[in-house]
Amino acid sequence: MATVAIASGRLSRAPLRHTAPILLVAPLALYMAAFYALPLASMLLRSIADPTWTMENYRRLAGDAVFLHVFGTTLRTALIVTLGALAFGYPVALALSRLRQGAATLVLIIVLLPFWTSVLVRSYAWMVLLGRKGLVNEALIATGLIDAPLKLLNTPFAVHIAMIHILLPYMILPIASVLRQIDGALLRAAAGLGAPPRRVFLQVVLPLSIPGVAAGVLLVFVLSLGFYITPALVGGPRDLMLSMLIAQQVDLLNWPYAACLSTALLAATLLLILVSLRLPGVRDVLRTATR
Amino acid sequence: MTISDHSRRRFLGLAAWATAGMTALGGARSFAQPASPPKMPEITAIPEKLKGSGEVRIAAYGGTAQDAERTAYFAPFERLSGVKTLDFPGADVNKVKAMVDTGNVEWDVVQLGRSTVKNLMKKGDYFEKIDYDLVDVGNIDPLYRYDYALDMLVWSQVMAYRTDAFKGAVPNGWADFWDTKKFPGDRTLTGAGPSTPELEFALLAAGVPPDKIYPIDIDKAFESYDKIKASVVKWWETGAVPVQMLSDREVVLASVWNGRMAAIQAAGVPAAISWNQGLLKRDCWAVPKNAPNKANAMKFIAFSTLAISQARLSMLIPYGSVNNKSAEYLTEKQLEILPSAPAIRSQLIPYNYEWWVDNRDTVIGRWNKWILA
Repeated sequence: MATVAIASGRLSRAPLRHTAPILLVAPLALYMAAFYALPLASMLLRSIADPTWTMENYRRLAGDAVFLHVFGTTLRTALIVTLGALAFGYPVALALSRLRQGAATLVLIIVLLPFWTSVLVRSYAWMVLLGRKGLVNEALIATGLIDAPLKLLNTPFAVHIAMIHILLPYMILPIASVLRQIDGALLRAAAGLGAPPRRVFLQVVLPLSIPGVAAGVLLVFVLSLGFYITPALVGGPRDLMLSMLIAQQVDLLNWPYAACLSTALLAATLLLILVSLRLPGVRDVLRTATR
Repeated sequence: MTISDHSRRRFLGLAAWATAGMTALGGARSFAQPASPPKMPEITAIPEKLKGSGEVRIAAYGGTAQDAERTAYFAPFERLSGVKTLDFPGADVNKVKAMVDTGNVEWDVVQLGRSTVKNLMKKGDYFEKIDYDLVDVGNIDPLYRYDYALDMLVWSQVMAYRTDAFKGAVPNGWADFWDTKKFPGDRTLTGAGPSTPELEFALLAAGVPPDKIYPIDIDKAFESYDKIKASVVKWWETGAVPVQMLSDREVVLASVWNGRMAAIQAAGVPAAISWNQGLLKRDCWAVPKNAPNKANAMKFIAFSTLAISQARLSMLIPYGSVNNKSAEYLTEKQLEILPSAPAIRSQLIPYNYEWWVDNRDTVIGRWNKWILA
């Protein structure tokens, strides 16, 4: 079909317009179907059909106080990390969008640098930094700000700070990309009409950057939900995330219950995405992305 | 170097590597290898019944432990038996289950822990019986032998402490670990991740005699845990963590995998093992059901548990031997750090795999509630 369409050139331009995009995504679609959708379906099935059809796992889930507690911790952690990443990421994105090409590239490289190191190594680096004899405590003591080392490592604070560091690029990049597309004429027009810089930012730049913010928030939140290694390494005794609970059940060879927990996490994530797609900002992102 | 009764090998392997890197970064000297590699006894001949043809595919835990296994076992077995020996990292009981379930068994021999093997056997017929006709049973204690797995590496979960923390006082036994007045400072113990919480240590701390530990009184163990909970800053899941915390002075007392200590001691960290009342644990070889090279797998297992093979491994990495004759190949100094050496082994309590197979789910359920309370 495709070769015919291409060979016959001008005549079949119209059908080609519809066939070509489908053919372009076909390899990825097939790949995803075989290596993602299929295993995912089999996992979902396992939670209700291993060894026989049963809803027992989900009944257990609803009454599992540990699950509910851990699920709460997971959501709270994701929320804090997302807000933190936004607070630190937005100014960087703004700077990135304002810099000249050469400088911007340099900043971009610095932003992307953490991507080239494994999450594990970065988590260990935080152990070195936040420890009682770590760089942060030693520096604070040396400057006389504190007398005794603060307890930073193995606390929720350590989890949040380490996760924010790891996830920052996912916040910065979408925001910077949207900020860069803002038409400079709009800013000049606002300034020309007498708006001081603060007002230009609040009334022009900020509203226009919302699609990027929405994309960044969604990315960081969803990625946070599945974090495992970082909380396990730098967290305290009570910083149990859902992924850790799932891993524990896999190790116990309780695959059906592990599948059930994973399904709960997946469902929560999907729900979140669906809800956020209804928000005006996010709808615009999709429009921007597909334009 | 990752030895334990659980599965997240790749993660742990990376963790070991990261720890080494970070310790170097933290200013300590990088982990030193012995100046010259120890002179290992060469294996020159093997029994005729262990020879064969074709290949054998072995899955182990990766890292430096697998490097040591390659030198100690895999290479000489290939040379002497005529069986091509291929080894892979990432041994994992979940993969074994998936392989057998789908009829696509890629491994002939897998390094695991006995409770893992037993747990999977409870779910179905997942492993082949070990062929004990080939094995040097005369020199391997019954403790190490099981129908579906043969222990091949002896290690210990023991107490370790900072030697500079207590003005020369030496903690001895878990009652001392629990005594925060006599031995002040933060601690770390194993949590309920891939491995089991150390209920044994909690009972020993509460004064239960070592020979009365099993069957574990779960209520009593958790009561004992209540008393130390506030001083435990971290319930670790992977063996890299407690030694890192000792190195960084985050804790003064820890439970550790004994093999991890040599590395930080070589790096100059003032820390030592207190062997008394440690748990004697083992890794084993098991053969997945319908392994394509089952016969070769059995030959390899028999070969690797010979006295000389086991001694070769102990020279490369401080883990002990299941073969009583291995000590003949080792010097006093080499024996000093091995959990299987008679003087040390007599202080250790064999981990009761059978009890844990029956009670692991209950304990972990209870644990999760306790830790979040």
